[in-house]
Amino acid sequence: MKGTIIRHLILKDLRLHRQQIYITLAAGAVALGVCQWGSEPALVVGSVWFFISLIMVGTMLPIGGIVNERKKQNLAFVMSLPVSSVQYTIAKIISTFGMFLAPWLTLVGAAILVIETRHIIPRGAIPMLLILAFMPLVAFWVMTAAALIGETEGWGIAANVACSSSYGLIWYFMTRNSALTAGMTKPAPVWNSAVLTVLGVEFALAAVLLGLTLYVQSRKQDFV
Amino acid sequence: MTDLAVKLDGVGKKYRFFQLEKICLKIPRGTIMGLIGPNGAGKSTTIRILMGLVHQDCGDVQVLGRRMPAEQVAAKWDIGFASEDMRLYDGMTLGWHMSFIQSIYPTWDTAYAQVLLKRFGVRAEQKIKGLSHGQRVKAALLLVLARRPKLLVLDEPTTGLDPVARHEILRELTAVMEDEDRTILFSSHHTQDVEQISDRITFIDRGRIIDSMDKEIYLDRWKRLRLEVPSGIEIPALPGIIGIKRTGRLAVAIANAFVPDLPNAYESSGARVQAVEDMTLEEIFVANVEHSREEVEA
Repeated sequence: MKGTIIRHLILKDLRLHRQQIYITLAAGAVALGVCQWGSEPALVVGSVWFFISLIMVGTMLPIGGIVNERKKQNLAFVMSLPVSSVQYTIAKIISTFGMFLAPWLTLVGAAILVIETRHIIPRGAIPMLLILAFMPLVAFWVMTAAALIGETEGWGIAANVACSSSYGLIWYFMTRNSALTAGMTKPAPVWNSAVLTVLGVEFALAAVLLGLTLYVQSRKQDFV
Repeated sequence: MTDLAVKLDGVGKKYRFFQLEKICLKIPRGTIMGLIGPNGAGKSTTIRILMGLVHQDCGDVQVLGRRMPAEQVAAKWDIGFASEDMRLYDGMTLGWHMSFIQSIYPTWDTAYAQVLLKRFGVRAEQKIKGLSHGQRVKAALLLVLARRPKLLVLDEPTTGLDPVARHEILRELTAVMEDEDRTILFSSHHTQDVEQISDRITFIDRGRIIDSMDKEIYLDRWKRLRLEVPSGIEIPALPGIIGIKRTGRLAVAIANAFVPDLPNAYESSGARVQAVEDMTLEEIFVANVEHSREEVEA
């Protein structure tokens, strides 16, 4: 055996979907560039583009890498290789999450760097930035779980619709919660209990979805 | 080491509208087994179970001495699987797929892969989405053959191919069998393809294996007897005859266990045997399925 099969499957996915990483990075970089023009409209437009780029990559990767692999009948080819359904699931989770995490970390890190160095908005906005940026990450796990467990395009679309329609509502309440917004105008980040609780819930949701996906996949009797 | 490449013992699988009914199947190493059945007979389910892709509800499955699905990873190192509904990645080239498979399998034979590229008339730099259906099937088969598997499992590989492409693929499969240790399980509802390359044949219908034996034995045992029966003479029910169709003075009897004495038995009963004809595999298949269904419904 040349290396582990999981490694081969991860590398395959990287080769197949790396363009989506580049597109997200480019879109996010443009968004952050727009933010730095300094005017309020530019900041609003740039911020929206920034979050859209995170949402897009969180949607494209599970749809393109998991749903389409099954829909386009590539799955039988993959499963003809010496791989079990659990190994396939692990490889798919690592590759998809890795491809999501790379641009997510880069862009969120770049956004924090912009806030820290360009002083366009107060540093107190960093906790809210993280809260809002973690939502596409949670949505990514919802999409990934639906794609792997549900197996059909219908489940993928349903998860996408549910997540997409939730953003506006959740962001509305987040940005109007005084405990979360209290420190936004401060010169330094305020990590109060409300901020930490929301971040903790987002982390927990992602962890539960990951665990659920692995559990259900490991118990499946029919895979193709 | 067992001399069986595949052994299915009492394997069952129940779906809402279909049931695989505790089938038993043995494929000796070094043989080409043709699995023939109408659409929806259970060919693909059987193959998916023996590949470990679908878990059986009951029964024991062993492939190359490995229990399935528990040992599917170890077994699949030596199995080459291609099916009619398997697709390669559209946006990537055949060469990319070859590199991918080569990176996994130490047994990948680069020289043989180049030979197959020429024989199949496909180019490594071609993207899969630019290939015709026949070329896609050949590309998938190339990826399977060049890794030199001990067992080839092919689910309807010739479906939808033109006669030339079918011939090329069947010729290559026959060539593969020059290695005596290699085994092929070949499912199809094209009896001509199966007849051309198989040395053992299994008929499957409605989730049941209705017959399984050497191809030559089928061809020897199954015969069609054309009879002339004078009025007033009843055609006797003889052993080995599974069906008789009579139209006036003429009758056709189908034998599934033909013996040389059978025509004499009819002659003794007053009928005249006009001819004893060989049956094609397709005719045997159809007669077998019809007989099996009549037995089940009776």
